Amino acid sequence: MGVTILTQFPVENKTGPQIIELLSKRISALGAVPQGQFLVDCETYSSVPALGHQRTVHVLHNSEQPATVFALLETGTKTIPLATDGLFDLLMMKMSSFYQSKKQTKAESKGPRFEIGDFCVKLGSVTVSSNFKGVLVEVEYKPCVVPAMCWDLIMEFMQGFLGSLGPTTPPSFLQNRMQDIYSPIDTIQQYLEHFTLFRKSPGPALIMRPQ
Amino acid sequence: MERDIEQLNSALNSVKILRSNVRCVFESVSNGLRADHGEESKESKYILELQELLTIVNNNLRDVENSVGNLTPPPGAFSLGNTTYLSQETTQERQQLYGQLVNSYKWTDKIREYSALAGNMLAANSFNKTYKTYSTTKRRKTQTSNHNVPPEIIENLITSIDRLFTDVTITAKRPFVPNPLIQVALGRVLRAVIAFKGLMIEWVVVKALSEDNDLWTESRYKVFRKVTENCHAAMCHFHSPMMPELAVRSFMHWFHSYITLFSAPCKRCSKHLQSNLPPTWRDLRSLEPYHEECK
Ligand SMILES: [Zn+2]
Repeated sequence: MGVTILTQFPVENKTGPQIIELLSKRISALGAVPQGQFLVDCETYSSVPALGHQRTVHVLHNSEQPATVFALLETGTKTIPLATDGLFDLLMMKMSSFYQSKKQTKAESKGPRFEIGDFCVKLGSVTVSSNFKGVLVEVEYKPCVVPAMCWDLIMEFMQGFLGSLGPTTPPSFLQNRMQDIYSPIDTIQQYLEHFTLFRKSPGPALIMRPQ
Repeated sequence: MERDIEQLNSALNSVKILRSNVRCVFESVSNGLRADHGEESKESKYILELQELLTIVNNNLRDVENSVGNLTPPPGAFSLGNTTYLSQETTQERQQLYGQLVNSYKWTDKIREYSALAGNMLAANSFNKTYKTYSTTKRRKTQTSNHNVPPEIIENLITSIDRLFTDVTITAKRPFVPNPLIQVALGRVLRAVIAFKGLMIEWVVVKALSEDNDLWTESRYKVFRKVTENCHAAMCHFHSPMMPELAVRSFMHWFHSYITLFSAPCKRCSKHLQSNLPPTWRDLRSLEPYHEECK
């Protein structure tokens, strides 16, 4: 598991599949090899009023870590991350009388996955309750575990196929964690950040860079 | 010593010639008169032949006596140490041991000879790249053997390297052995597994911190496989049979420059990536980062 950077690619007036195809072509031209598909999904639950102060739980899955369920609990003052095994999904079902899923908010990002050198590139088209919202590009540099060490390198790589639309500053979530050892839940936090923005946006996003 | 053996050889040789010619005499005597002596005055012909043969034998005998006279008698009995008892061994299966011992002695002798030759050749055709100057005036610490040194010396060397760099962590699974295997973690960047043969670095493999410590499998990441390759080149470059400790220190100094493997751009093209790899080469003297294509 290496440092992963997630960035949004502006859709402008193209459709999701068109963008994915465009980026697939570009990355393949650089020598990337397709390696299947990926999926990251997110479901959000809110505590019932009877529990008092409202808390939110986001439950996410990442096909890269198929045996793990990630849960992020928002208490209002802080976010508590949790990486658990598959049974957590069943636990949430059991707790349906305390935590209820917000309908129409199921978000997911899915699409082709590529490998190129020690990089892994994922081109995800994002839907929120089946409505297309935008495109997320994920780049993982597998050998390195400290974001501060390889940020410039990943930035250069992303600009190589995203051009000037590649990121120029680290994702806001990582900004004060640049010296920490990177772990899979950090990727999940970045996805949640983007999903939250997409849920708030009315249609396919025109501009919306979290920075 | 050399002269003695030469003389012994020539003495043995004259004995051999003598024996062979004595054989000729006996052959002639046992055959008696032969058809090739003809009919006329065959007796006198035969006697003449026999006389000639005997004269040769006489001459040979004189040669033997001369060469024996030239030999210097050994000062006393040879001391064979404990091997003497081997020749008195009565058990059937152990009687072979003496022969085997002599054979292995010959082998070691040959190995010494060949390695001395190889050493000379390698010294004459150095595989180092240029800039290493051997100054003969500088006093050298003579080390008769680099691969067979007390474990304490290796341990001291490793400890001193460990102290030299704050961001290098060295762990050894079995310290104080003649050929230790150490793991060198370079900050949070990478880890190298280094196998020593005495004071010489024999093998290096570079891996991610999350990978296993196996010496024989390479990293699953291209970047670390490339760094491993370059470490092998540097290991040969810094190798110095005369100053093995310095060789290890220089190698470690060079290796330490990989602390910026992911963060430093290439000195020549100022980029981070070339063929999707960061600069995996470090200049042997300036320690500056270069891409494989840019060095
Ligand atoms: Zn370069």
